[in-house]
Amino acid sequence: MTVLDEIEAAIPALRRYAQALLRDRAAADDLVQDCLERALARRAGWRGEGSVRGWMFRILVNLHHDGQRQRSRGPHLSVVGDDMAEFSRPGAQEGHMALREVQAAITRLPDDQRQALLLVALEGMSLVEAAAVLGLAEGTLASRLGRARASLRAATGRESAKAVRPRNEGTVQP
Amino acid sequence: MTGRQPFSDLELIMRRHGARPAAPRALDAAATATLAEWDRQDAALAALYGPIAAEPLPATMRAALGRAAHEDAAPRAAWPPRARIAAAFVLVALGAAGGWGAARLLPSGGFAPPAAAFAAIRAHQTFVGEVTHPVEVKADQAEHLTRWLSKRLGHAINAPDFAAFGFVLMGGRILPAEPGTAAVFMYENATGQRITLYAAPGDGSSETAFRFVEAGATQGFWWVDSGLRYAVVGEVPREALRSLATAAWEQLT
Repeated sequence: MTVLDEIEAAIPALRRYAQALLRDRAAADDLVQDCLERALARRAGWRGEGSVRGWMFRILVNLHHDGQRQRSRGPHLSVVGDDMAEFSRPGAQEGHMALREVQAAITRLPDDQRQALLLVALEGMSLVEAAAVLGLAEGTLASRLGRARASLRAATGRESAKAVRPRNEGTVQP
Repeated sequence: MTGRQPFSDLELIMRRHGARPAAPRALDAAATATLAEWDRQDAALAALYGPIAAEPLPATMRAALGRAAHEDAAPRAAWPPRARIAAAFVLVALGAAGGWGAARLLPSGGFAPPAAAFAAIRAHQTFVGEVTHPVEVKADQAEHLTRWLSKRLGHAINAPDFAAFGFVLMGGRILPAEPGTAAVFMYENATGQRITLYAAPGDGSSETAFRFVEAGATQGFWWVDSGLRYAVVGEVPREALRSLATAAWEQLT
């Protein structure tokens, strides 16, 4: 596979991640388009360290952070997608989560926890890979992921599972 | 005894997602329940966002990849700009002399202008007569105009300068194209005559020299370069239009 092939192969995952991160389809695809163009412009300088996929995720995450800095200077409008009605059907099978609840819970997570959760739980990256994408130590990434998973559990009404065992407060630190 | 110590979330995370092999330690009921809960979280995420990864890529992304593939296949350095310009002049001259420059909008002589040429003519005819809204973004917001049209086109584009021909940029707009989104710049001269420059993402067709199309009084020159399809359209004499197209081609290359 050429670098160009690998760049193309990474796009579906980048779109999935951006969509989950931003919850706005057009904004997500704009972010991926910017990421793609930056990667294409720099592909000649690609030296083959690590995976093209990881490199593109790093570009996307950096662009996302740049965008957040710009937005934080002006009034912020949060767009929460309202096109997920198909997921709201009641009576989800036992053992499955109500997807709308999960979506709402992800929306409420702080951005750093959401990124940790999505890279690992949605994109299937290892802690090492995800930490490299976000530029974090592995332990920091792990504790963000732990907090994200705990918030998600609390928000989706499964807090009772914790009653089974003593809760180890303090093991998952910021 | 470690077996009695409950698993912390962090320990379970390292065990589930870490690169190092987990210590051989049997999971208790609570840890098993937590891991099952995380499986459900992962499944919910996959159900919510997985389908996006199965969708075909948007046209703007395909266009960007197509341009890159085109660049890789034919490195531009091998074909110096001056030679390209000279070659284009020769081809335009040949076209004018040989008759294929006179291709009509209706297929004739076995040669049909592409859909983009029709689209450029239609866009011109639709907007050139507009009194109140000839453009969506006016030229006084030049930086925004350039950024917006480049973004939607999926390719950096600056409006060519036609001041030497007396035409001043009024502004621009976007239009749907197949594939992708087209950018249209509109210009006006002192007499109120208007011309448009149309640019659309490539559809895979290879580079061409200028080709002429006309529909009634509306005439245009179109060409394909660096993976974009362009046309300059107006109701001005063909030679004036050719000069404008050449200036556009030089500035856009």
